[in-house]
Amino acid sequence: MRKTAFKLALFLSPIFLVWIAVETFYRAVPNNYTVKHDYMQANAREIGTLLFGSSHCFYGLNPKYMSGHVYNLANISQPLYYDALLFDQYIDKMPKLKRVVFCIEYSNLSHVPGTGEDDFRKYYYENYMDIDAGIVSAFDPKKYSLAFTRSLEQTWASYERFDYFGTIVDCDANGWGNNYPKVYRYKPSYNVQERLAAHEDGSTDFSANLKRLENAIARCGQRNIEVVIVSLPQSQLYTAGLNRHKLELIYATCTRLSGKYDHVRYLNLFEDRRFTDEDFFDADHLNDVGAIKCTQIVEKFLVK
Amino acid sequence: MLFNTVNFAVFLPVVLALYWLVTQRNLKLQNVLLLAASYFFYACWDVRFLALLIFSTGLDYYTGIKIHDARGKKAKKFWLWLSLAINLGFLGIFKYYNFFVESFADGIALFGARPNVWLLDLILPVGISFYTFHGISYIVDIYRGKISPERNFVNYSVFVSFFPLLVAGPIERATHLLPQIRNKRIFSSAQFNDGLRQILWGLVKKVVIADNCGVFVDDIFSHSDTYSGSTLVLGAILFSFQLYGDFSGYSDIALGTARLFGIELLRNFSFPYFSRDIAEFWRRWHMSLTTWFKDYVYIPLGGSKSSKWFNIRNVFIIFLLSGIWHGASWKFVCWAMINALYFLPLLLANRNRKHLEIVAYDRMFPTPREVWQMVATFMLTVFSRIFFRADDVHHAFAFIKRAFSESLLTIPQVIPTRVLLLIAVFMVIEWTGRRGGYAIAHTFEKAPKPLQWSFYYVLVFAVFYCSNSGQQFIYFQF
Repeated sequence: MRKTAFKLALFLSPIFLVWIAVETFYRAVPNNYTVKHDYMQANAREIGTLLFGSSHCFYGLNPKYMSGHVYNLANISQPLYYDALLFDQYIDKMPKLKRVVFCIEYSNLSHVPGTGEDDFRKYYYENYMDIDAGIVSAFDPKKYSLAFTRSLEQTWASYERFDYFGTIVDCDANGWGNNYPKVYRYKPSYNVQERLAAHEDGSTDFSANLKRLENAIARCGQRNIEVVIVSLPQSQLYTAGLNRHKLELIYATCTRLSGKYDHVRYLNLFEDRRFTDEDFFDADHLNDVGAIKCTQIVEKFLVK
Repeated sequence: MLFNTVNFAVFLPVVLALYWLVTQRNLKLQNVLLLAASYFFYACWDVRFLALLIFSTGLDYYTGIKIHDARGKKAKKFWLWLSLAINLGFLGIFKYYNFFVESFADGIALFGARPNVWLLDLILPVGISFYTFHGISYIVDIYRGKISPERNFVNYSVFVSFFPLLVAGPIERATHLLPQIRNKRIFSSAQFNDGLRQILWGLVKKVVIADNCGVFVDDIFSHSDTYSGSTLVLGAILFSFQLYGDFSGYSDIALGTARLFGIELLRNFSFPYFSRDIAEFWRRWHMSLTTWFKDYVYIPLGGSKSSKWFNIRNVFIIFLLSGIWHGASWKFVCWAMINALYFLPLLLANRNRKHLEIVAYDRMFPTPREVWQMVATFMLTVFSRIFFRADDVHHAFAFIKRAFSESLLTIPQVIPTRVLLLIAVFMVIEWTGRRGGYAIAHTFEKAPKPLQWSFYYVLVFAVFYCSNSGQQFIYFQF
């Protein structure tokens, strides 16, 4: 048995070394999560407007074109669940906070934590942003080793990006996502079906996320912080493929919230025809040109 | 807990270390450990259904003893039917209740009535089809006098719940597994290494082949109304590789894992895609289920010894039951009936046991005739599996209609070059290893160690390269 154990250990040693290397890569190289976390740790006290949301907000709202100290805390595939957890984490550390923007798109009101294409990101919130996600089991090895969160192929792709660009951070100093695949600029049609499939969960049960949103709204109310809910623009091809009934429910829910609370306003740009194919880099994400246009419209609404 | 997750990669060494290092000298303790590990493994899915598993185990344990101890045939029969009724009752409620009620309501609706049906909102307990069949085979074997009941509850529970086979088989027999549980297992490095090798090959099948195919299969089947005929045919072919990689991969991991504990499980796959006719295919695919149906349904019905017409009836019954076993849906019934129809000509011509040995057993390459036979058999299974994979029967028919349209002769809109290349390499390895228990059982066996290890490293890195957060196994839904 000893001989077998020794042979096995010998066989596994190179694999173990690769694991160490991958783990080191994930722990040492800055990414969207670490830079946003570091920024918030250092600057939370000075921020006046904080933006929450998924990739639509991450790429779509550029704080550079907004007045005051604005930070974009949105991230790729960040559902309301993490918006709420991040909000809870920072709200008491932000004495100058005057406004919070929650970006509501098609899937985040019905999203169930722990599901979806990017579920692996829960480990990143725990490890990089010091958030107790609550949906990661203490017995889950990925909680302790980020090397296991992605396949070697995906890790290698990240490494190649790092090797080529010197970074895997996709956002600028204000948290705005400026590093999208430029090859697709102005081509919203190339992944419409894929995006639609990824976002359609078939659910119109908004209760859990609505509760999270209303909790945040109530806490903002206590601190005289204005809440602005924004539905960011999507390409026409994308919106045409969505479930109209669900879409109307989302609009109605957001409108109802703005009517229910004095400190809540709603801006719906979801199907705004001022945005054309030239403003998107894929079916549902604004490119840098679209982001400026969108941010200026949102800014106008905010200062109104 | 899936076999292809990090959780299992942590769980297994811990249990193995306790098994071989701590409890090695005490068989009872070893079995208690196996049972505890198995229940923990099952509870990771859904702890609520652990009670059902324990109840089912207790029921069969108790009725097994009662059948054996009963004086008269009548009493034996009573306990047998009680056990069967409860076992099949649970299976029926959890798996088939909604299907039959809905089908009944649909049938009545054809005559204009609109009955209000009461449907159950139930989750299917993982592995229920498998452990129910374990229990039934045990009870029936006792009734037939083939075995004596197991009087040690822990031993019997390990037989039902042994974690490698608990959720997706192979469907074990008491005659095969219980003696291994009763007797002391001795560590054998050859058996241990073989187990590791088979686990590795199972992971390759699942992670490298099945999951990579699955990406394209899901896309093609879910957008079948937009793709060309040739793309749909490619999707159906890829699904066949996905299903094989997924299920036989699971079985390899299960067999390999059991071997690490010194336990041999029944073989479930024997290179089915090298079959030369559909009868051979069914002798090589999901063998533990096929033989289960043969022993507990086909033979009691008269098997092949009855008249031709009864024999045909029996074959159709077996395929029908096999279809329904897979799931409560008409699509599985269609899939099963198509396979029964494939089987029929062989049965009528008495050619259903023509190919018993693996193709080209004593040769390196098959003859052109054998190649044609293998391709034809494979394509027949590809066609029937459209029903297996489709959302429902309507989807399957729409898929077939579009597949066999004019666009069949066009270039597929999706050409997954990497996946096709992986499949080609995979099939070459399968071909070269077809005489063994699994493809890499003897690969580079006599080669120098560095070459052998290099081959294993390539496989290990292929698994890590492709592994993406533990994709579900297809057969877990059954």
